[in-house]
Amino acid sequence: MAHSTQSKATRRDFLKLAAGAAGVAAGPWVSRNAEAKPVSIVFARESSYVKNFDVHFQNVMAPAYEKATGIKIEYQIQAAGGSAVPQLVSMVENKSGADLAWVQQEWLYRDALVDVSDIAEAVGKEQGGWYDEIKRLSIDKGKWKSVPNGNIGQLMNYRRDWFDEVGVKRFPDTWDEFLEAGIKLKAKGHPFGMSMGHGFADNYSWLYPLLWSYGVTVMDKDGRKVALDTSETAKAVEFVKKLYKEACIEDCIGWLDPHNNKAFLTGQISCTNNAYSIMVSAKRDLPEMGKVIEHGLNPKGPTGQRYHSLVPVTHGVFSYSKDPQAAKDFLRWIMDPKQYRPWIASGDMYFAPYLHAFDRVPEWDIEPRVKPFQKVLETGKLTSWPAPANRQHGEVINRWIVIDMFTKAITGTPTKTAIAEAVSQIKTIYG
Amino acid sequence: MSKILEASRAGALAAPTHQPIRFGRLGAFIERESVFSWLMLTPPLLFLLAFLGYPFIYGVYLSFFHKEVARTASFVGFDNFVKLYNDPIFWQAVRNTIIFTGVATIVKASGGLGMALVMNQSFKMKSFARAMLLLPFIVPTVLSTVAWQWILDPGMGLFNRLLVVSGLAERGPSWLGTPTMAMVSIIMVNTWRGLPFFGISILAGLQTIPVELHESATIDGAGTWGRFRYVTLPSLMPVILIVTVFSIVITFFDFQLVYVLTGGGPANSTHLMATYAYTLSMGAGQMGLGSAVALSMVPVLGLLLVALTFFVRKD
Repeated sequence: MAHSTQSKATRRDFLKLAAGAAGVAAGPWVSRNAEAKPVSIVFARESSYVKNFDVHFQNVMAPAYEKATGIKIEYQIQAAGGSAVPQLVSMVENKSGADLAWVQQEWLYRDALVDVSDIAEAVGKEQGGWYDEIKRLSIDKGKWKSVPNGNIGQLMNYRRDWFDEVGVKRFPDTWDEFLEAGIKLKAKGHPFGMSMGHGFADNYSWLYPLLWSYGVTVMDKDGRKVALDTSETAKAVEFVKKLYKEACIEDCIGWLDPHNNKAFLTGQISCTNNAYSIMVSAKRDLPEMGKVIEHGLNPKGPTGQRYHSLVPVTHGVFSYSKDPQAAKDFLRWIMDPKQYRPWIASGDMYFAPYLHAFDRVPEWDIEPRVKPFQKVLETGKLTSWPAPANRQHGEVINRWIVIDMFTKAITGTPTKTAIAEAVSQIKTIYG
Repeated sequence: MSKILEASRAGALAAPTHQPIRFGRLGAFIERESVFSWLMLTPPLLFLLAFLGYPFIYGVYLSFFHKEVARTASFVGFDNFVKLYNDPIFWQAVRNTIIFTGVATIVKASGGLGMALVMNQSFKMKSFARAMLLLPFIVPTVLSTVAWQWILDPGMGLFNRLLVVSGLAERGPSWLGTPTMAMVSIIMVNTWRGLPFFGISILAGLQTIPVELHESATIDGAGTWGRFRYVTLPSLMPVILIVTVFSIVITFFDFQLVYVLTGGGPANSTHLMATYAYTLSMGAGQMGLGSAVALSMVPVLGLLLVALTFFVRKD
């Protein structure tokens, strides 16, 4: 929590004056030195797979902010792997904890986030504008409730050497080619490992894009009508059944998010959908494998379209914070290009900015195998797409309704029944 | 030294044998058994009220409200329970919980009995073996479950490696990849963790059975099975039943193991009521609905426990 040494009614007025004089982008945090200010601000984020990202924040940014403003930044790193959301929910329910955070699944607690439109609009204006899709997450009822920070790209991670061995010289362009390659690789003892269990990203990051590429969405644009009950859904389900049976390792329908990383790194699978954390681990611990890992785009479906799923990182300020304005000032500061660009670069673009100013920056060229992740921003959609990213959509995701539609069909439920059950559950959730 | 001792003894002998301590009226009041017992009971009761009673009552309260994260609650009566009644995943979780608890408890009880009978024999390093058997019970569940993830890994896991190396199978099963095997796996891990509790408790019970009973039975012509059936087992029944009651409660509410190992998948085949309550509350943000799932566990468990308690008393 932000701890104030004292609180004065005139402080906000003073800040407005200071901001007017110096300009918003010039850094309202500096003006705070002249006034009563919080002693510290708590900033919670899930730990990054690229360690240097957190290290840069702790060793460079936090001390710099303290030096400039006198406000200490307490960086609360939350364990990766799905435990951040329950922590955030607890914070919001108890009205205590961090002042601002990486607000994962923000639709759950948007009502507890303050309006940050001023920051988001200023940042967008100065850095080439925001990608459209992310606005559908951060803007709620016309107000920005979070400031997008970056996207964790999810792509096909594959073993180039094994693909070469079976004569697949370029990564499959369509799902049918993908299946064909998988059959050949499984025959050679290198099956695919496509996560379909109760995880939180590696499952929907390929199953949702696959559905979309068949021309199917879960809901209609307004989020009022279930759109899943179509013949194309049945075709997509039948395809996944075939893919699982003929190309995948048996275990993958029960996998949580760490399982595919482990299976890939132990040489059990030749392809999976994941962030580039597998490559990071391999380069560090298994250099030989690190050389032969490549990243491919999600294949195109029968519609000829290719889709990816966004895994957004957004920052929001909690309304229960003792000094939300101090937290907002800090948020504005970290999004200033002077801080933001080196920070993003320190993470090797693992968190890809949703800002067009980063479309052609040289940071994308640090590693050719990272470059494809930029494409995710162009073709990436939120899991709610085209419907609003609201609580109901979150419930569908967190109860794995769509994921389980596929796994039920795989484990023996007739395809029609699996779809009907999913549709019925979604209707109940949307009410 | 001896002089000092003698002097003190002499002093002690010279002193009045019983010197009543005077605390006054307050002291006398506190000394009354009914007051003193309540004084001793109050701190733990307050602790239980704060850390168990309050969350439980709050959970009961929430289950009758439509409560989403960061929003105010609105009273909906039994609406949450009606929703659950019509929710197929809830009923699947109920079925899974009953199967999981039932099978795991039966395996743990019979395995624990066997373990205790073996541990009751004399053999070298008996104490060391007994101490080692407690390990699964001591290691934090999350930690041991992560180890189990590796053990159950299809390619690199210990089980499948052993099956392949020993020539028993060309390749091992997918322990977490099919609904049936995933349920078998979580029951197996739960059994591994809970077996020592049964084993050690029953062992303690075994050691209280008088040797004379066995001797009398032997004189009456009872063999090994006869002594076990008519002496050992009846003497152990109270212990077994009490340990079973405890185990049912712990197993029924198991969460960590499933959360870490399968997350309730694949296709909800290992979703227990506890994991489903968590999914609804913390994942989907439906605090009221999640609390209703948690509260639904109470009557099922309550009935089971009442039946067992009745049986124990009858026995």
